Amino acid sequence: MDEFQEILQDFLVEAFELIEQLDQDLVELESNPDDLDLLNRIFRVAHTIKGSSSFLNFDVLTELTHHMEDVLNKARKEELKVTPEVMDVVLPSIDMMKGLLAQIRDTGTDQNGIVIGDIVVKLDAISKGEDATTAEAPSTQESSTPNEASSGSSEKPAENEGDGTYVNPLADEPELDYANMSEDEVEAEINRLIKKKADAIKAQKSGDDSEGGSADDVSLNVSATESHPEEKAPAPAAPPPPKAPEPPKPTAPAAKPAGAPAAAPKPAAVEQTIRVDVKRLDHLMNLIGELVLGKNRLMKINDDVEERYEGEEFLEELNQVVSMISLVTTDLQIAVMKTRMLPIGKVFNKFPRMIRDLSRELNKKIDLKIEGEETELDKSIVEEIGDPLVHIIRNSCDHGIETPQEREAKGKVPMGTINLKAYNEGNHIVVQITDDGKGLDAPALKAKSIEKGVITQKEADQMSDKEAFGLIFRPGFSTAAKVTNVSGRGVGMDVVKTNIEKLNGIIDIESEVNVETTMKLKIPLTLAIIQALLVGVQEEYYAIPLASVLETVRITPDEIYTVENRQVLRLRDEVLSLVHIADIFDVERVFENHDHTYVVVLGLAESKIGVIVDSLVGQEEIVIKNLGEYLKGMDGIAGATIRGDGGVTLIVDVAAIMHMAKDIKSQAVAVESSSSKPKNGPEDYTVMVVDDSKTDRKIMKSALKPLGVNIVEATDGVDALTKLKSNEYEVDGMMVDIEMPRMDGYTLAAEIRKYNKYKDLPLMAVTSRNSKSDRMRGVEAGMSEYITKPYSAEYIANVVRRNLGLE
Amino acid sequence: MSGKLQEVVNNQQQQQEVVDNSDEILQLVGFVVGEEEFAIPILTIQEIIKPIEHTRVPRTPSHVLGVFNLRGSVIPLIDLRIKFGVPVTNKSEDMRYIVLKDGDDIAGFVIDRLNQAMRINKNQIDPAPEATIGDKSLIEGVGKQEDKIITILKVSKLLERDF
Repeated sequence: MDEFQEILQDFLVEAFELIEQLDQDLVELESNPDDLDLLNRIFRVAHTIKGSSSFLNFDVLTELTHHMEDVLNKARKEELKVTPEVMDVVLPSIDMMKGLLAQIRDTGTDQNGIVIGDIVVKLDAISKGEDATTAEAPSTQESSTPNEASSGSSEKPAENEGDGTYVNPLADEPELDYANMSEDEVEAEINRLIKKKADAIKAQKSGDDSEGGSADDVSLNVSATESHPEEKAPAPAAPPPPKAPEPPKPTAPAAKPAGAPAAAPKPAAVEQTIRVDVKRLDHLMNLIGELVLGKNRLMKINDDVEERYEGEEFLEELNQVVSMISLVTTDLQIAVMKTRMLPIGKVFNKFPRMIRDLSRELNKKIDLKIEGEETELDKSIVEEIGDPLVHIIRNSCDHGIETPQEREAKGKVPMGTINLKAYNEGNHIVVQITDDGKGLDAPALKAKSIEKGVITQKEADQMSDKEAFGLIFRPGFSTAAKVTNVSGRGVGMDVVKTNIEKLNGIIDIESEVNVETTMKLKIPLTLAIIQALLVGVQEEYYAIPLASVLETVRITPDEIYTVENRQVLRLRDEVLSLVHIADIFDVERVFENHDHTYVVVLGLAESKIGVIVDSLVGQEEIVIKNLGEYLKGMDGIAGATIRGDGGVTLIVDVAAIMHMAKDIKSQAVAVESSSSKPKNGPEDYTVMVVDDSKTDRKIMKSALKPLGVNIVEATDGVDALTKLKSNEYEVDGMMVDIEMPRMDGYTLAAEIRKYNKYKDLPLMAVTSRNSKSDRMRGVEAGMSEYITKPYSAEYIANVVRRNLGLE
Repeated sequence: MSGKLQEVVNNQQQQQEVVDNSDEILQLVGFVVGEEEFAIPILTIQEIIKPIEHTRVPRTPSHVLGVFNLRGSVIPLIDLRIKFGVPVTNKSEDMRYIVLKDGDDIAGFVIDRLNQAMRINKNQIDPAPEATIGDKSLIEGVGKQEDKIITILKVSKLLERDF
């Protein structure tokens, strides 16, 4: 039994390896139906799996692969032309084979559940139907629309198209029983056939061009997938390079194959790789984590010792040891991290097939170009990144790439292109998905979001194009006019955002209407040990994953503006909303901040936020530990780490605090006007209402009446300024209209702010101008609040109450 | 020779019986929170340590003091005095953290002072008083000793997140 188990494990690992390569080969085959090398490789996979499964008594699997083998064998011998219709049967049969293998892996048998009857019949029909018609050669059907390849394609003569134009050089070959051949015999047979075919082609080439060409066109047009006819040079029939095996599916942890994926190099004469259980690697990684903590601690102690025993001789020795250990630890950590690395090609592999299926389903022509599939990243990330990529690519196919007709109407080539590219950038890997489809239309996205109730009109007005692109990640958003099988249910892109956030990744979207859309996913290389920025607030410290930190800036408190009760900072040409880390984590503010403060600019997925902290401590390598069952899932905390001094520092969950920041009201800048006499109640406060319209003043006065404050009126900017300067009234706040004769609201605000005395005077702009640039101008001019018309009386009363500190 | 062997076998059997007997005996560790004495089964205690520095975890109820570092593991720290509504006295020399473990759940608990380890026969333990029985009850039972009664706490309940 044990031996059987062992063989079974080996078989499964091998089979999954083979299949992975198979998918790619098959898709390629469709565009290169004459590539014998490919055909042979595919045939061999079916053959191998069949052989092993019959040995292991998996009857269902054996039967399925047997029929597949028949079809492939015919194709290989040119008795059958590989058309998209044939592929429509072959590909699902491969899927079924995968299903069976997965079932064997999980349950140890292939007897329950998966019914292969249908597909076997179809496969048979293909191989038999071919037998009957080869001689007649009906070369007339030109099915140029993939539609015809719908149901029941198996027994239609459609797949015979082009067949007659070939003089099959191998047609005279006797039916050999490949199933009973040994590996070597099969190999020899294959080589013989290749040679024969090559000779025949040479002889045939000259006379074949006219008719043969048209047949090729048909199959190429129908297939809407990648076509690099020259990419695979007919090579000697060497076994396919072993790829790293499929990572064990997380859904079946109990029965995963013992083999663990390690980055596998090209085949060599001697076995160069060993399979290691992932658990061992994880354990190793944990141990390294402990070691890193120990190293951090050692370095701290070294610093202390150095201070205390300055000049002592043994110090130098200690120093040497510490730095050596620190170096070795770092190297060790990198080495172990590398063993956990997998090429991202593992994820990319499934996309050619997916694009192929999608393009047929959607009646589009899509070409997928893949670059950088050898880029490596941590196994756990490889597993997490698959889903988001599937969603993004589906989205590109469905919403991005237009139909060939639309594309031609726009003057583009009918074949749409999706570029999938991975590359390293510092401590990150960047996965870039570009499609040359219709692009994202910011106004349309906004309109759609408003319609769906995802955002309000007001929010939409304030949004930049880039922010509008980010809307596609909101739950409940979908731009597809109709819900298709592929997408449009409004969940997919939301998943993308969640998953990428989970990996501490950043999403960046760029798009130009009708030109292209580019999505960049920037993901840290590993998860267990990360670089973090340590920040201080009051007496506490927090670690922020450096992957999410875009930059840090030092500002003075008066660079912070308040717009609609939110703190913002103008950073170059952007307005950044701010939140104080003390507000998020309820840190008691014992001592007040100094004349300057720090803002850590965080970016995650497609959003940005500035976090105000009291101090920046520095960058440190930290090991993520979870908080355990009792404190699991605390808002805003991703975990904890142990610092060099043995203390625990909490790690900030950037995604969560971005979310939390929305609900947090700022308390930092409580504006208190310096008053000469004590204010006991509302009647001691004076508000100046500046507006050129008498009606507006009246409305405002009535709105403020319930507050019980004194009200002074001014008819324009000049009037207001004069009244303010006269010191006749002690004004505690001003309501300022923007559009006024003589001096407008912006100028008035700027004038008032020139006086140090009025530096903190609440200036509330009341206006119907509500565009983003207007708001920004207001902020720049020195407005502390921006109230847009129309407003309700309660709202305005609340704003005034808050600004005067009457709460 | 055979007599010696028989002796050994007999001895072993006797020991077996002793072990069997001790099954009836529950070993407890008693400690004091505020004025009252509590006890917990000794086997649920991972260790008892002197107070060390801890880090506050925001957005938790006041009895969750935060987390501390126990030889490389990050462990929650819960103040039983606050949890039981007992006034928190000043730090005393006797204060300890009891680290309790139940499966994967682990946490440290602040107590005022340790009392003693004790053995109580299971038939000396009464179920929790009617009024306190319920899913939320922290009380496993009440142990009677010559001169006093001791509240035995339910460790699984203590380690359950209560917010």
